[in-house]
Amino acid sequence: MSIKIFLSDSIAVAENEFRQFRRNRSAILISLVVLPFFFTAALGAGQGGAGSTYSPTARIPIAWVDNDNSLASVRLWQTLATSPDFRNLVEGYTEQGALAQLGTKRIYAVIVVPKGFQNDLESGNQARILLYTDDSEPGMSDQIESTLTSYTQNFDPNVEVQPYLSQLQRQSVAGVGIVTKGATFAGFNIGLTTVLAIVQIFAGFYEIAGGMSREREEGTYARLLVSPVPIGSIMLGKTLFDILLSVIRTFTVLGLSVYGYGARPNTDILTLLALSLIIALVTMGIGFVVAALKMGQRAVVIIEFFLILFLFAFSGLIIDSNLLVGVSQVISYLLPFTYAFDALKRTVLLGRPLLSLTYDLEYMIGSIIASYVIAFVLLHFSRERLIR
Amino acid sequence: MPEHAIVTQALTKNFGHFTAVDALNVSVAKGELFGLLGPNGAGKTTTVRMLCTLIEPTLGTANIVGYDIREQAAEVRRQIGVVSEGVSLYKDLSIEENLKLLSTLYEIPRPKAEVRIRELMDMFAFREKSGRLVGALSSGWAKKAMICAALLHSPQVLFLDEVTSGLDPQSAIGLQDFTKKQCEQGVTVIWTTHYMGEPEKICDRIGIMFAGRLVQVGTPDELKHSVSELSVVEVETPGLSQGQLEKLKARLKEMRQVYRVKYVDPKLEVSCERTDTLAEEVASTLLGIGARIRAINTKDPTLEETFIALTGGEEEIDRFLESGGQKA
Repeated sequence: MSIKIFLSDSIAVAENEFRQFRRNRSAILISLVVLPFFFTAALGAGQGGAGSTYSPTARIPIAWVDNDNSLASVRLWQTLATSPDFRNLVEGYTEQGALAQLGTKRIYAVIVVPKGFQNDLESGNQARILLYTDDSEPGMSDQIESTLTSYTQNFDPNVEVQPYLSQLQRQSVAGVGIVTKGATFAGFNIGLTTVLAIVQIFAGFYEIAGGMSREREEGTYARLLVSPVPIGSIMLGKTLFDILLSVIRTFTVLGLSVYGYGARPNTDILTLLALSLIIALVTMGIGFVVAALKMGQRAVVIIEFFLILFLFAFSGLIIDSNLLVGVSQVISYLLPFTYAFDALKRTVLLGRPLLSLTYDLEYMIGSIIASYVIAFVLLHFSRERLIR
Repeated sequence: MPEHAIVTQALTKNFGHFTAVDALNVSVAKGELFGLLGPNGAGKTTTVRMLCTLIEPTLGTANIVGYDIREQAAEVRRQIGVVSEGVSLYKDLSIEENLKLLSTLYEIPRPKAEVRIRELMDMFAFREKSGRLVGALSSGWAKKAMICAALLHSPQVLFLDEVTSGLDPQSAIGLQDFTKKQCEQGVTVIWTTHYMGEPEKICDRIGIMFAGRLVQVGTPDELKHSVSELSVVEVETPGLSQGQLEKLKARLKEMRQVYRVKYVDPKLEVSCERTDTLAEEVASTLLGIGARIRAINTKDPTLEETFIALTGGEEEIDRFLESGGQKA
């Protein structure tokens, strides 16, 4: 079979999907209107819209260790603690005790005011404060340091922040360091990352797994199988059509989030679209694997329920995957959606370029390839449901 | 070009411990209309599904117009057309849209496909309904649409699996005539059914399947004569009660092997192992249980009666059907 025929078959399958979709008003309504609008509106209402303050450091637990116990150090503490950017300064630790907490996920940074701080300031010398961070979250140390520096500079230009990175950065697993950690972000930005992923996963999975199981039940899949069309063309055709729907959904969610709920993503539209489509492809791959297991439509709905449950529990959607322990964390690291959420947050919230997220991208693309290969093999070697 | 359109060699399909098709050996000539006859669960549809490359045989193999179903499945699919309950058209598309999709998948050049689609639309008087969605068609028209789809690429072998079920008698007869014409044009047809009357009327040869095995193959006449030890009497005996019928069965069974006793007031049909005295035995038994006899005569067995005799009798078939297709 030539590539030309393979592609022509794929396009014919995609066109066929489109023709059927066009005639199915409820599918159009649910897939392109209800799902994106419902999730965006629901999260938008819950998370507040435009006007929220942006602070990636506000809720991060940071230990405050005052070894100087002077008027100047207390004033600095007051300046920071009453600011919108350091709402979670934790007192009561000794320096050793606070440093020992780094990496335990109770404390992510330690600010130490050394002895002699006030004397240095009074004598016009440069006064240092020390900042220790675990840096398990790439970019977060820089955020804390720069925010802290801006406050100390306003407090007294002679105050210098001396940063120290903990050894813990080497222990963190690259690519799975969900960025929230108590940070707050502008407007609907976190909501946008959640909605983009959930909408693609919800719709993409059912469109592939549910669609294939419906075709099996109605006998149209068997119609394709008795024709010379290869399995690969069927998979590619369905994928092409679903990519089209995913693009429409991405723009719907993005439009509503930006214009309706004041999201201000720190990335460009192409990055968002690319990530959104990668998530859709990860989902479609899993959908094909489920479809290859020859389940009925009811079973597909149940599996989708569990898939979403897994997402909420283990993918860093609600709980930072770094906060999970034991088996939960292993599951979290295995799920490709964990990397998807991580990549979305790093781009939308922190403005990291997509191509810098190599580990996330590698894992997701690897998942796509693996799931498509597994689905292809399963579909190829058991062409039809075994009917007695 | 091979002499035979279909040749199977020990074709077997197991589902776990259950053998749906058991070492099927059959050859079907080019242009032949071959009937596969058997009750539900006999293995007909599984056989067709293996030949259509929808399911993989457990053992054995088959050739369709020279192509091996295991090794050259894609080529086999180009040579066959399938009409089966499990193989449907897209309900949300019109018949014309369905045919256009299939013409692309069968790599028929567009101008040629358009001509062929028009030809089929005319043949089945579909012109006025060409734009109507398949889901909105009546079952008869939907079946015709499926036949159109199966014929689109001018296949050399056509599988018609239980194709007349759900059709009105007129449409069924029309379809039978159409199928015969296809065979005259060189198309080989496999016609599977559990309606006993159908293959007798139209098929060149019939294979009787039961419990996954091909019990007998031959022309309708050959099959009827193959059961030389079968005797059938037909009695007109009005008002026979259930009790009388049971007594009749019990007494006849004491004398010989009875394949079937069928009673639809006033007609009673008894088929059993061959004997010259069956009419006398039935008459005397009936009179003995107080039944009235208006007429009695012996007759040649029908294909249905032959089928029942070949498969071990009506009770054996009942046991088979009750067991969900597993031979007792």
